[in-house]
Amino acid sequence: MKLIIIIAWRNIWRNRRRSIIMITAITVGLWGGLFAASFSHGLLEQRFETSIEQHISHMQIHHPDFIRDQAIEHQIHDWAEIYDMLSADGEIKAFSGRTILSGMLSSANLTRGVRIMGINPELEAQTTGISNHLVSGTYFAEEIANQILVGKKLAEKTKLQERSRLVLTFQDQDGELVSAAFRVAGIYQTANSVFDESHIFVLQSDLQSILDEQIIINEIALLAKDAEAIPQIRDTYQELFPANTFRTWNEIATELSYLIEMARVMITIILIIILLALGFGLVNTMLMSVFERTRELGMLLSVGMNKTRVFLMILFETAFLSLLGTLGGILLSVGFIYLTSKRGIDLASVGGDSMEAFGFSTVVYPSLSINLYFTLIILVIITAILTTIYPALKATRLSPAEAVRDQ
Amino acid sequence: MKTVIKTTNLSKVYKDSVVPVHALKNVNLEFSQGEFTAIVGPSGSGKTTFLNIIGGLDKPTDGHVIIDGVDIATMKESQLFDFRLRHIGFVFQAYNLIPVLTALENVSFIMLLQKQSKQEMEKRARAMLEQVGLGDKINERPGRLSGGQQQRVAVARALASKPDFVLADEPTANLDTESAFNLLDIMARLNKEENITLIFSTHDQRVIERARRVITLVDGAVDKDEYFERA
Repeated sequence: MKLIIIIAWRNIWRNRRRSIIMITAITVGLWGGLFAASFSHGLLEQRFETSIEQHISHMQIHHPDFIRDQAIEHQIHDWAEIYDMLSADGEIKAFSGRTILSGMLSSANLTRGVRIMGINPELEAQTTGISNHLVSGTYFAEEIANQILVGKKLAEKTKLQERSRLVLTFQDQDGELVSAAFRVAGIYQTANSVFDESHIFVLQSDLQSILDEQIIINEIALLAKDAEAIPQIRDTYQELFPANTFRTWNEIATELSYLIEMARVMITIILIIILLALGFGLVNTMLMSVFERTRELGMLLSVGMNKTRVFLMILFETAFLSLLGTLGGILLSVGFIYLTSKRGIDLASVGGDSMEAFGFSTVVYPSLSINLYFTLIILVIITAILTTIYPALKATRLSPAEAVRDQ
Repeated sequence: MKTVIKTTNLSKVYKDSVVPVHALKNVNLEFSQGEFTAIVGPSGSGKTTFLNIIGGLDKPTDGHVIIDGVDIATMKESQLFDFRLRHIGFVFQAYNLIPVLTALENVSFIMLLQKQSKQEMEKRARAMLEQVGLGDKINERPGRLSGGQQQRVAVARALASKPDFVLADEPTANLDTESAFNLLDIMARLNKEENITLIFSTHDQRVIERARRVITLVDGAVDKDEYFERA
């Protein structure tokens, strides 16, 4: 076996140029594939993380009808009990109850429809970290009434600035229109400009006094300490509070889970295409190398090197070529992905601004799970073995007497 | 003297062409231990077919090839691989060394396949290369050797594993006169010293007279079988 391995290793260096071209092709192919995979993985992971962190959280609780019709009367009546449970639950990291209203925002210049989020500033800060996303102004100060946080995009469109005055108009529970004046305390920006353009934050207590009501909670968003535990947490709470609907992030953002699933399929397809191309390249290279060596292979078969050994020799040659290429591809990719994951790739200059409208960040930090590398190595080995079969069978099917006299 | 190879009614018909070609017709020959035989005849006379069949590389259409009491015409292909490896040495017209191995490794190759002990193998390979006058080239790869030198390595390879007999198909066809004589002299000497049966085919008049037995084939049949006294 050692002899076969030595001969195979030396054989691949007989046609140095051809081997180097093949190895380079594999290296570049895998680098392209892995980079494409890491790019989409990074993009979606960021999209996923920002969506979870800034907007959706791990799980949301609503009145069953609120999902269909986001009206103020569809509220979570037993929110206080849920609050108590969540506060005592060691698996819950943070939660925030919100009063959600649809209304109109009127500034001096423009009027726009907005979603008004009445929040408890402390709970919201822990859950979505909105307090960390201020680009100007301050988060709610305790002693001042009727403060408002607006998104940067909305502020730009309605020419609002810090300390600008504006009027919010919305319906109360009886369907009566209510208006109140607010003053901009701060301007926030998340990775999703559509969200920024349509959501404003006010204090729950202010809404409570405007509406002259008890605290209304239409939505509770929560973060678990371990995201994996979410389905099980959902089931537990759903059973305890059957009057409400508990939905996990992938049930809420179906398009997000769809995107992630689609990206996984796309990455797999890209890798399969690369491996197919690699496979055909290898078959071609190995066939050429077998045909060039007809006489030599005939001699080997004549003197008693049996077919298994000839097959193994060709297999090792293919394996060496593909493993060298894979090693090159992985090293190049790891280096490249590492560098770009630190610096990020800024797409702003190539029209990446439009990405923000879909909730994607303009700076992408490629990343790849270690599992994919292992999967890839295994796939390459399988490809190498499969592609060996045809050329190696050609080699072993040679008639030694004829091959040895081949001109 | 012990009979190494015996053929009885050996026939070979190639049926793949439009008209069946009778490459060998009822060849009955015996080769004794230590014989040095040339198979001669014009092209198409069946020399190569005969060597291929007694070398286990091709099957006869009819007849038997008895080597060491075993009929190899009835052997399975997988058995033939092992039989060739253990009993027969080959020298080819186009040298057919392994270009990625050194002269020493090439000579050791068959012994390696036979799984001989490493020490013994290397000693034997070195000795054989000395015998063919290439003691100073043991670490050269074939690409750096002349045609004559390569063919001497091939002879050393064929004899190193001490086979029952060595078959050489046109071993001098690619060599110049001096190298051809030189190779035949080496083969004749090794045949005597190692007492290995050597059979080579040739249509090269220059080297025929080095053989002690000359078998002439014409149209697949034995025309003449002559013995000569050589120095």
